[in-house]
Amino acid sequence: MRFDRLVLQEQRHLKWRALDWLENLLMILCGIAISGFCLLVLGDIITRAIGRPWLWVQEATMTFFIYGIFSGVAAATRRNDHLYLAVLAESLSGNRRLFFEIFNRLVVLAVAFCMIYFGYLNFLDGFKSLRMPSMTPIATLYAAIPLCGALVALFIVEQVVNGWRNGFPDKPAEEQRIPL
Amino acid sequence: MTSNGTLIVLMGFLFLFLGYMGVPVAFALMASVIVVTMFTPVSQASMIAQLFNGMDVEALLAVPFFLLVGDLMTSANVTVRMIALSQTLVGHWRGGLAQVVTLFSMFFAGISGSSAADVAVLSRTLAPEMGREGYDKGFTAALIASAATMANLIPPSIMAVVYGATGNVSIGGLFLGGVVPGLVVGFGLMIYSHFFGPVGVKRMRATPAAIATATKAAAIPLMIPLIIMGGILTGKFTPTEAGVIAVAYIVLVVIPLLNFGHLKNLPRDMAMTGLLYSIPLITIGAASMFGWMLAYLRGPAMVSEWLSQLAGGDPFIIMLLLVGLFVIVGDFIDAIPAIIIFMPLIIDLTKNADINPVHMGVVIIVTLAFGLITPPYGLCLLMSAKFVGIKFSRAMLASLPIYLVFFGAIAFTIFFPEVVLWLPRKLLPQSVGCFANPNGSGYICP
Repeated sequence: MRFDRLVLQEQRHLKWRALDWLENLLMILCGIAISGFCLLVLGDIITRAIGRPWLWVQEATMTFFIYGIFSGVAAATRRNDHLYLAVLAESLSGNRRLFFEIFNRLVVLAVAFCMIYFGYLNFLDGFKSLRMPSMTPIATLYAAIPLCGALVALFIVEQVVNGWRNGFPDKPAEEQRIPL
Repeated sequence: MTSNGTLIVLMGFLFLFLGYMGVPVAFALMASVIVVTMFTPVSQASMIAQLFNGMDVEALLAVPFFLLVGDLMTSANVTVRMIALSQTLVGHWRGGLAQVVTLFSMFFAGISGSSAADVAVLSRTLAPEMGREGYDKGFTAALIASAATMANLIPPSIMAVVYGATGNVSIGGLFLGGVVPGLVVGFGLMIYSHFFGPVGVKRMRATPAAIATATKAAAIPLMIPLIIMGGILTGKFTPTEAGVIAVAYIVLVVIPLLNFGHLKNLPRDMAMTGLLYSIPLITIGAASMFGWMLAYLRGPAMVSEWLSQLAGGDPFIIMLLLVGLFVIVGDFIDAIPAIIIFMPLIIDLTKNADINPVHMGVVIIVTLAFGLITPPYGLCLLMSAKFVGIKFSRAMLASLPIYLVFFGAIAFTIFFPEVVLWLPRKLLPQSVGCFANPNGSGYICP
């Protein structure tokens, strides 16, 4: 199986090919995260049943779970896969559409910067608390927030720059094959 | 200093404004909280930490497992066997394919906790066939969306997991409490299709041999509900563990036996589900930020006081008022953020009116399931209209008479708590507040 197939080819005109590897990597991380915590929870059940429970399993499971969520959020931003209340902009055209598309992305970008800055403060603060039983600082989990914020910001900048240049509406299939 | 009421209105307005402008729900929630936090002594860093705390809940681990179960079953195309079984059982009735849609949804609801997976399966498999048999497309979309809501009622239900995890209510109790309302909706849809739906093509009744063959073919996937509920009811597994056992059963037994060639696609399925689960969970984290700020501004306490005064402490009126509130809320925002945002209010009212928390949970879940087919944000109806290829307005018009089925189910759930709580009391008595009889065997239930 070729994992480069995990890059979504829709809205190709909003993506730089140079960042495809990153989307691919994030999708693989999503797969690893869910497989990882599936195996760990299964391992927990089995080891408990045979009377030799793994004490560290819950901690490891939560690590996979949290990193899986934040990897997925970053990937979903590039793939435009998030949950929406309404996609008002798609029914518009011309300058109006450009305004809505850019406005919406600027809001996400502002939130992403908050995730980076305030997430980083939490990360620093996280060195004061430890996770049991491994005694690892909780900062190892908090690190996922600024990392995710940075990736979301990167993908939003990619979409805004490409959308400004090429327009936001979906291109016909032929045009989508042109490398950007 | 800005008053709490003004800040609550500002936060709500910002969320809806940004959401309807087209900002993703999770980011619209976060943006509104971050703006409002600037007018309070609370630090932004602590709010971002709240995003993390909202997701760092062990019970929420069940969400990806139940999504994965539905996704693997759909992707491996195992569901066709359950459709075939439904067809042999009810395909000869009036409006045969409509009955098949509902019965299949009842089966599938016992396997997957996601309505979206149900809509996807039915739209791909049965909707084209219904089109060929002359069923109105509006009716098809409305029925598929309505039937898919049962995935949130019949266990395992992702809404029940989220409600239980955030409200500290027994998830097993909520699972069992959802069975009766789920069946009421299912049978209601069947009765509606029989009397008011299109006639469809008349089919011969399946022979007992054909039913036996179809049952045998579907037996392996139909073991999944038994594994999930059996594990939870015997106390061997938590809902999260039951979910992972079901995933292991599908990967190790169902797919190798029924669609061996699909095993090579498993890494892709895992990656896609990994992406899919992150979307509701980041929304849960953002909604918990929103809910925390709402509680900090004493929003739930104010509304709870007002509703209690209005209802005069009558639990039925309180539930009716909450249903009214959630019908409106469910029209505008997704069920999962709605549960988390309003959980402090629900907890307050449940306690004040002395309502059984499982009963209240089931009432709220049934109401929010109804929200999946009401405009403007009826997620299931939006999806089914898109898959069937009609305008949302047409699907909505066709779904209007079906609303009566849901009103009936909600009223039944509110006014017959004894029936709704019968299963949890029988099978999981502690989940509904029963305690072991100190003078003998059995349980004493309040």
